[in-house]
Amino acid sequence: MEILSVNNIVKRFGNYEAVSKVSFSVGEGTIFGLLGPNGAGKTTTIRMITNILIPDEGEVLLFGEKVGSSQQERIGYLPEERGLYKKIKVIDQLIYFGQLKGLSRTDAQSEARKWLLRLDASDWETKKIQELSKGMQQKVQFISTVLHNPDLLILDEPFSGFDPINTETIKKIVLDLKEEGKTVILSTHIMEQVEQLCDNICLIDRGKLVLSGLVRDIKREFGRDTIIMEFDGEDSFLDQFHNIKFINRTRNRAEFRVSDGESSAMEILRAAAQNNNIYKFELAEPSLNEIFIDVVSRNEAKQ
Amino acid sequence: MTKRSSTSKVWTIINHEYLTKIRTKGFIIGTLLGPLVLLAFIFIPVIVTMLSSESTAKKIAIIDNTGKLGQAIVDEDTSKYFITNLSENELRDGVLKDKYDGYLVIPEDFLQKGEATVYTKGGGGLGFISALKSNVRDVTRKERLLDAGVDLNVINVINRGIEIQTEKITKEGTEKDYTEVYAIVGYVFGLIIYTLMILYGQFVSRGVIEEKANRIIEVIASSARPFEIMMGKVIGIGAVGLTQVLCWVVMSVVLLYLIGPMIGNMVSGSHIAQMSNQMGNASRQMALPSGFEIPAISPWVFIAFIFYFLSGYFLYATLFAAIGSAVDQESDAQQLQLPVMLPIILPILFIGSVISNPDGMLSVILSLIPFFTPILMMVRVAATPVPLWQVALSVVLMVGTFFACIWLASRIYRVGILMYGKKPSLKDLVKWVRLSG
Repeated sequence: MEILSVNNIVKRFGNYEAVSKVSFSVGEGTIFGLLGPNGAGKTTTIRMITNILIPDEGEVLLFGEKVGSSQQERIGYLPEERGLYKKIKVIDQLIYFGQLKGLSRTDAQSEARKWLLRLDASDWETKKIQELSKGMQQKVQFISTVLHNPDLLILDEPFSGFDPINTETIKKIVLDLKEEGKTVILSTHIMEQVEQLCDNICLIDRGKLVLSGLVRDIKREFGRDTIIMEFDGEDSFLDQFHNIKFINRTRNRAEFRVSDGESSAMEILRAAAQNNNIYKFELAEPSLNEIFIDVVSRNEAKQ
Repeated sequence: MTKRSSTSKVWTIINHEYLTKIRTKGFIIGTLLGPLVLLAFIFIPVIVTMLSSESTAKKIAIIDNTGKLGQAIVDEDTSKYFITNLSENELRDGVLKDKYDGYLVIPEDFLQKGEATVYTKGGGGLGFISALKSNVRDVTRKERLLDAGVDLNVINVINRGIEIQTEKITKEGTEKDYTEVYAIVGYVFGLIIYTLMILYGQFVSRGVIEEKANRIIEVIASSARPFEIMMGKVIGIGAVGLTQVLCWVVMSVVLLYLIGPMIGNMVSGSHIAQMSNQMGNASRQMALPSGFEIPAISPWVFIAFIFYFLSGYFLYATLFAAIGSAVDQESDAQQLQLPVMLPIILPILFIGSVISNPDGMLSVILSLIPFFTPILMMVRVAATPVPLWQVALSVVLMVGTFFACIWLASRIYRVGILMYGKKPSLKDLVKWVRLSG
C-alpha cells in the first residue's frame, strides 16, 4: 500500500524552478532513498512533503489525503541542518517538540524518557544542549524526530556526526522501525548506506527525476560490468586495456568498469595471472555510488 | 497516546516562549529592580532633604559685635545658636576639638554692609548654610526696619503678610507641582513604553534569529504553520512583557500608596516638621507638605499604560519578527531594523513639545499616528484629560494597523525563515510580500 505519493510537483522561486514535475511514490513499511547531488532539489521536495512549502503545481498525497497540517503530526522530520535550543534542557526541549507534534505533556515526557533510555542517554536529561558533544546532540535530535511515534520518517543525512558505533545503533533503530511497519524516506550522499537500507530509490538532478525504482532492479539494469580484483605484485598490466574506467585503483587493489562486460573480463584475468598472485577477482554489479556518478554526469553532459 | 487538536499548537508555542523567558535571570532581576528604580527616583530627594536637614542641628557660637542681633538669632533656634564671649582663637580650638560646629562673627557694621562670616571645619552641607542665612536674614531685616523707624506692629503685620503670602505660594506651588508631576508621570510612562517596545521587540527578533540560525525553525515548521509559529512567539513574549508590567504596576502601587505615605509620615511627622518651623519662612517653602501627599494617579492611566504598551508591542513585535526571519545572524539585522526602529524613536523627539502643550493640534495629530500612539498618547493621557473620542480613535487605529502589520509580517516571515545565504535588502522583503500570495 502506498503511504505517500508525489504527483508532478513543481516549485519555483522567482524564475528559478527548484523542482520540476517530480513524481514518485513510497510504499508502507519500506525504506525509500531520495538521492541527488547537492542543490538538486531534494530539500525543497522534502519541504513540500512535510508541508513546510506548498507546491506551485501538482500535489502530495500522504496517507491518502492531500498533505496539510493534520498530516504533519504523523511525520517525523530530521533535517540535514540540525538545530536545537542551546540553552534549554534536553528533556524540556524534547517535550516541546513532542507537544508541537500533538502529544500531551505527560505523553511527551514519558516517550522522551523511554527514548533517552533506549539511546543510553538518560544521564543528559537535565543537561542543556550546549553542554553536550555533537554526537550527543545528534542523538537528542534523532529522538525529537521519532518521539511522537510517526508513521513516516524523513531522515536527511541521519548518520552525519555519529561515530561508527552510534551509526550502527541508529541504523538498527531505523530497521526496527521498518519492522514495526513505519515508512522511512532516507536522503543521503553515502551510497553504501542506501545499498544497505533502502528498498527503493529515486534520483533527482537539477530539479528533475532522473532515475527511480527498486535498488536491485536498477543495479541489474546497469549490468555486470564492474570488476573488483585484489592481487600481489605489479599492476601495470592494467594499463594495456583502454576500455577500462577506473573507479578505485591502489597498489594491490583495483575496481573498474569495462565497457564490453564479460568478454574483456576474461582477457584481463588472463593478463593479471601472468605476473601476479590473484586473491580476488569479482565480476560485480556497479555500486550505487557508480550509478549515481554515471547518471548525474550523463545528465550534465546532456544539458 | 492521545493526540490533541492542532489549534493548541499556538498555545504550545506561547507556553514554551513564556516559560522559557520568564525563568531567565534577566527577567527576574528586571522585574524586581524596576519599581526599586522608581522608588529611588521618588525617595532619594526625600532622603537627601532629610539628611541635609539633620546637618543643620549644629551648635554655632555667635560673636555679636553689633550687640543687637545676637540674641534675636539665638531666639530663632535656641538649640543651635548661643552667644559667646570667647575669643576667635579659643573658638577655633573649640571647633577643631569638635566642641561646637562653627562660629559666626557678626561685625559692627553688619547692619549697614550686611556681611558676616561663619567659620566651620568645612562641609556641613547646603542645608546648614541656607538655614543659617535665612535665620540671620530674618533677624537682620527686622532690625533694619526697626532702625529705619518702622513701628514694631507694622513689622509684625508685614511679616504676617509675608507668611500668608508664603502659604498661598506654597499652595499654588503644590498645584503647579502636580501638573508637573503628571507631566513627569506621562514622560516616565512614555519612556517605559519606548524601552519595553524596543526591549521586547528585540527579544522577538533575537528569538526568531536564534531559531533560524540554529535551524530549529525547519523542525518547528514541519510541525506548525509559520503564522502559528510567529504569533505564538509574539504572544508568548508579549505575555512575558505583560507579566513584567503588571508586576511593576502592582509593586509600584504598593510602594506608592502603602509604603510611600508611611515613609512620608515618618519623615514629616517627626523632627522635619519641627525643624522646618525653626528654620523660618524661607526654608519652610522647601519643607515637605505635611503627610507627604502623592498626587493621585488615576487608575485609567495605568489601564492606558497597559493598553498602549500591549498594542505598541504587538505592532512592532510582528515587524521585528519579520526582520528577524529575513536574516541569518543578529549582526545582519541592525541595518534592516532601522525602518522599524525609526518610528519608535521619533516620538521621543516630540515628547517635549507634547508635554508642554498636550492639548495642542500638533500633539493631537502626532498622538493619533498609530506608530507614535503608544508613546505620545500615553504621555497625553497621563498629562492631561484627553477627550474620549481621541482615545477611542487611537484604539481603533492601533488595532487596524496591528492587523495590517501581522498580515505584512507573516508574509515576510513565511518566506524569510527558509531563506539562507544572501543578506536581503528591504526591496527583497517587499518582493517576498508579493511572492507569498
